[in-house]
Amino acid sequence: MGREEILKRVTAALGDRRPSQTDRAALDARMAARPAGPPVRLEGDLADIFIAKATANLFTVERIASLQMLVPAVRALLTESDEAPDISMAATLNHVGWPAGWNINYGTGRPTEALSVTSALAGIAETGSVVLASGVGSPAGLNFLPDLHVVVLRASDILAHPEDVWRRMETNPTAWPRAVNVISGPSRTADVGGVIVRPAHGPKRVHLVIVDS
Amino acid sequence: MTAHAPSFHERASHALADANLQRSIAGLKGGFVAARARAVAALPEFQAMREAGAAIKDHTLENLDYYLERYEAEVLKRGGHVHWATDAADACRIVREICARAGAKIVTKGKSMVSEEIGLNEALEADGIEVIETDAGEYIVQLAKETPSHIVMPTIHKTTGQITDLFHEHHRRYGFAEPAQDAAELIGQVRSVLRAKFFAADVGITGANFLIAETGSNVIVTNEGNGDLTSTLARVHIVTAGIEKVVPTLNDAAVLLRLLARSALGMDVTSYVTYATGPRRPGDLDGPEEYHVVLIDNGRTKMLEGAYRPMLRCIRCAACMNHCPVYMSVGGHAYGWVYPGPMGAVLTPMIAGHEKAQELPHACTLNGRCQQVCPVKIPLPDMLRRLRHDQWEAGFIRGAARWGISAWAWLASRPRLYHALTRMMVAVAGLTGRSRGRFRHLPLASGWTQGRDMPAPQGETFHVAWAKSKRRR
Repeated sequence: MGREEILKRVTAALGDRRPSQTDRAALDARMAARPAGPPVRLEGDLADIFIAKATANLFTVERIASLQMLVPAVRALLTESDEAPDISMAATLNHVGWPAGWNINYGTGRPTEALSVTSALAGIAETGSVVLASGVGSPAGLNFLPDLHVVVLRASDILAHPEDVWRRMETNPTAWPRAVNVISGPSRTADVGGVIVRPAHGPKRVHLVIVDS
Repeated sequence: MTAHAPSFHERASHALADANLQRSIAGLKGGFVAARARAVAALPEFQAMREAGAAIKDHTLENLDYYLERYEAEVLKRGGHVHWATDAADACRIVREICARAGAKIVTKGKSMVSEEIGLNEALEADGIEVIETDAGEYIVQLAKETPSHIVMPTIHKTTGQITDLFHEHHRRYGFAEPAQDAAELIGQVRSVLRAKFFAADVGITGANFLIAETGSNVIVTNEGNGDLTSTLARVHIVTAGIEKVVPTLNDAAVLLRLLARSALGMDVTSYVTYATGPRRPGDLDGPEEYHVVLIDNGRTKMLEGAYRPMLRCIRCAACMNHCPVYMSVGGHAYGWVYPGPMGAVLTPMIAGHEKAQELPHACTLNGRCQQVCPVKIPLPDMLRRLRHDQWEAGFIRGAARWGISAWAWLASRPRLYHALTRMMVAVAGLTGRSRGRFRHLPLASGWTQGRDMPAPQGETFHVAWAKSKRRR
């Protein structure tokens, strides 16, 4: 009922000469072409720009040669006394060879999460952001619940702009994920006295591990 | 939410006399403006981006029926539900029904201006539901039983001391016995108290900075991460959004997001931009089982009709109020409704009605800064001028003001009489006031002279001086 009423009001407000009546094909074509806005110029090596921007966004950044180096990288982030760490991880990273003594939750995020490890599908150099998609092996909650969020990103997945990420992703209903999280730093707020406090509800720290090969 | 009864004048006077409020606003005066200026200067493409952003919004509005239907179709294909609400009451009814079907006892909320506009919290609380705002600022304002005074920084009017007292009163039952020492500790309490609520919530309600027709997604922009925990952890996710929030594609949203972060906070990008689309997919470990969007008209199709259509380009960045000398003097509550500042002075009469916002279009010096900084180039001063005209036509301007303006119009349309009369007045005023150079008091103008002196005329009118200077040339 509300639907027909509102669409009727919209149509009436736009008048008879609006293009949507005369030229739906042109609108379909615009949707298919998805024109990009004014290009934002970036100068230099994409990975360098990305790292500089991400660092400015208060990510901590580390580069490793291969995924095999991920275990020592994560171990270095644990507190020294933590011999049997209890962490959460996206199942997409379960093949990396984690120590047998570690308690690793591959399920959904829990109310208390010290550390989680998830992987990004892309990095955006323009803003120093990482793009994470929810899926069977990667619950979105792991990006928001931990105190320390470790994001694994392949260097070859660093792209210039968000438009480049969208070009790489399938947008059809079966392929497009429920949640696409573009993350550009730790959680923060300035709602008390205008003072910036980290964290608010999400991670206090986000650590990027860039994998070169 | 209903508009407050006292007049803008009364609220503004109260605000000007409130030392705490004046201190809070003063602290932010430089911050927002300087941060925005820096961020804009750092992007050489910003002006081109503004043109593109305004064009995207105009294009979408010109074809709004097409894009709404297209957006709806994509949401449905991905397993979501779309509801259409003609007005505030209709929107509240729809959300209440979804909550009732879900058996909701606890509802978490991400920041949503449109939900404030429709008075959603009150409606849900009347059904016995515990409604919890999760944006730290909105949470504080809700605990204090107040309303936001700024659309991006809801607590701009509150001092840290006031928040400390507020939490000391309300957080003891969560085990925080001692008053918090500083902002970090206060936010720590918010994190701890709300973490449990996110997990306990049956329904999560968020707004949408944008709706994307291409993918059927709603976009939420936050720095806290509260919107994501709201939309991920509850069993049902409801999105409340005005119909003007739809944009065609992900690339169109990219243009507007570049404008939004810089205009709102002076940042290149916020910590979180999330594209949420439909319920959890087969095999997904988290995410809502139900996804609902409530598309709300509530006066927007009326704006779409004509002269006020550009107002629907608004992306709620708050740059207009951050640069407004009136807002920066009296704060947001003086405007009496959900939307303050220049954008509010246009939206409130358009949505809540002229009778509830008679003074707002006049609470403007027409200095034009709001239009200069608006990321989608809304001609706010023109709209405020037009609203004044509409008020005149509709007979809302009455009494001495109407009589005075009519008399002025009569005189101003008779040039000879006007010139004679002004020459005479200037001569008399010049003679009586020249010794001091200014007037402390003027008959019929006490409203002006209470706050400042009126300079005395120096002997001749502008027209006479102009004619003389032309002859000299």
